[in-house]
Amino acid sequence: MDGFTVTIWVVRILFLVLLYLFLFGIARALLRDLRAASREPTLELGRLVVLASPAGEPAAGTTLPLDAITTLGRDVNNAVVVDDEFVSAEHAVLTFRGRTWYVEDLDSTNGTFVNGSPVDGVAPLGYGDEIQLGQVRLRLDRVRR
Amino acid sequence: MSSSAPATLALPRILGPIRPRPRWREARLLAVVAVTILVGSISLSLAQRAPDAPSGGLEPAEPFHLTVYLGVLLLAHLAQVMAGRRTDQVLLPAVGLLGGISLLLMERLPQNLVVQTVGKTDLGLADVQLVWLVLSIGLATTLAIVVRSDRWLRLYKYTWAAAGVGLLLLTFVLGTEINGQRLTLSFGPVSGQPSELLKVILVVFLAGYLSENRSLLVEQSTRIGPISLPPVPYLAPMVAMWAIALGIVVVQRDLGAALLFFAVFLLLLYTATGRAGYVVLGLILFIVGAFVMYQLVDHVRTRVDIWLDPFADPSGAGYQVVQSLYAFARGGLLGTGLGAGLPLISGRLPIPAIQTDFPLAALGEELGLVGIMAILGIYLVVIERGLRIGAAARDDFRALLASGLALVVGVQAFIIAAGNLKLIPLTGITLPFISYGGSSLLVNGIVVGLLLALSDKGVEPPPPPRQPGRLARLARRAG
Repeated sequence: MDGFTVTIWVVRILFLVLLYLFLFGIARALLRDLRAASREPTLELGRLVVLASPAGEPAAGTTLPLDAITTLGRDVNNAVVVDDEFVSAEHAVLTFRGRTWYVEDLDSTNGTFVNGSPVDGVAPLGYGDEIQLGQVRLRLDRVRR
Repeated sequence: MSSSAPATLALPRILGPIRPRPRWREARLLAVVAVTILVGSISLSLAQRAPDAPSGGLEPAEPFHLTVYLGVLLLAHLAQVMAGRRTDQVLLPAVGLLGGISLLLMERLPQNLVVQTVGKTDLGLADVQLVWLVLSIGLATTLAIVVRSDRWLRLYKYTWAAAGVGLLLLTFVLGTEINGQRLTLSFGPVSGQPSELLKVILVVFLAGYLSENRSLLVEQSTRIGPISLPPVPYLAPMVAMWAIALGIVVVQRDLGAALLFFAVFLLLLYTATGRAGYVVLGLILFIVGAFVMYQLVDHVRTRVDIWLDPFADPSGAGYQVVQSLYAFARGGLLGTGLGAGLPLISGRLPIPAIQTDFPLAALGEELGLVGIMAILGIYLVVIERGLRIGAAARDDFRALLASGLALVVGVQAFIIAAGNLKLIPLTGITLPFISYGGSSLLVNGIVVGLLLALSDKGVEPPPPPRQPGRLARLARRAG
């Protein structure tokens, strides 16, 4: 093995090593991207999926993005207008406080139900829970990123 | 103005005031790219100076080419820093490294494979490739800086589709035949391969069409046995796409483009709808089409027969594939080193068309399995970036466009790499960013430029959703 052969061999291997160094650099960049993305607070706090709605407003199957305070009712001034004959004009309000959603019944005539049990004043709400207003059933979903 | 304030210069209104934004990640990755290409070039020139190096047809590694190429990469980086857009910082280095490997390979191959005479100077293989690489990177950077709205793609999707079909028909009628394939369209001195541009047009059209009619395509009302499908009218595009792909095979004898178009179509359809039924139906259509083509078209039969048994005629029809397999075998794990592969056997290249169809075989011989894995890894990075840009996009059109552009590059790389390795029948398409060829490099430059532009989070917000397409309104009226 003379010096020249060794040099060639070293340079050859160095080239391959550098190719992988580049990929490694990219992998690190990608990892940092992913970490940053998981730390970033989501803009949307949650969404409502309409499970059943006999009157068609909101239509069954639609998703409704939620603000930190979302009012529900038959009145057109509500953030989510629920056009159902058993729903009051100002029926309920969903609020996001700290890390949890709460549902508050606004003294509606026919009441608000969470997973089938009536809400007395304010009740906490978890992702996946079902809310019922009149004949309309809604599910609170987490926003997937 | 204090020195710490961002420099603001008055410029034409299109570009707006200049606010440079550093791109450290891109700079660091580009530094690694520069060192890698430099080491590769040294390795190449050392191998050529070796006493036992196979002589004949070998050219010294050209420092001039290297300087120009690295200079252009640096300029592309600086231009993007000056433009100050928040675009992706990984794509340019990844593509730059692929282009650098391409340049090394073209320098290492005999220069007289391609000779173009400009004025009185003859340009060899590496010279011409360098020109195309520079133009391609320039195009990508320009698009990345200038494109600030996707309106021109979004609103004119049917116009683009019409242009694409027109281009295809033009090639059918006026194209010149090379090796039994009618791919090249020439106007005087300018010639190009329209199918390269067609793949971008296809993605733009599909992104527009699918994002507009997505909700309808998800509906299931037709049932064929166990698979449920959307209403029959919405199957029309799939059948049309299938017919176009078959037309390309019959008229142009271009198996690669047909396979690429149909694969990208199915992938985008699945991305948009998430329905496996489409993929199953598409695969059934593919198998039926492939079988019929095998029976009817000689070209297809030859390709498949070579794939099944290249050693049946190792010095004739199967020559290329057999030599490609030998090249991979010679390369082994670590390869022979750049410039130390077998360049010529009795005065001719062991693999004809090595610079366009078999660059992976040449790289497999000289960089070995380890090198090939790294190169395929870089393609994966390009795909990952595209899909990520798509996932972060604000609306369906941009998401589908970005994923489609990335997939078109990835699928193309897969088709030709698998062809070289005898995993699927060989089809003559280019390895993106590495193969020799102007059309391929320029179009892939456009792809990278669009991906970069789409990755900017500060781009113009998407227009308000328009009414669902005409099909949707008709369907609603009917139902």
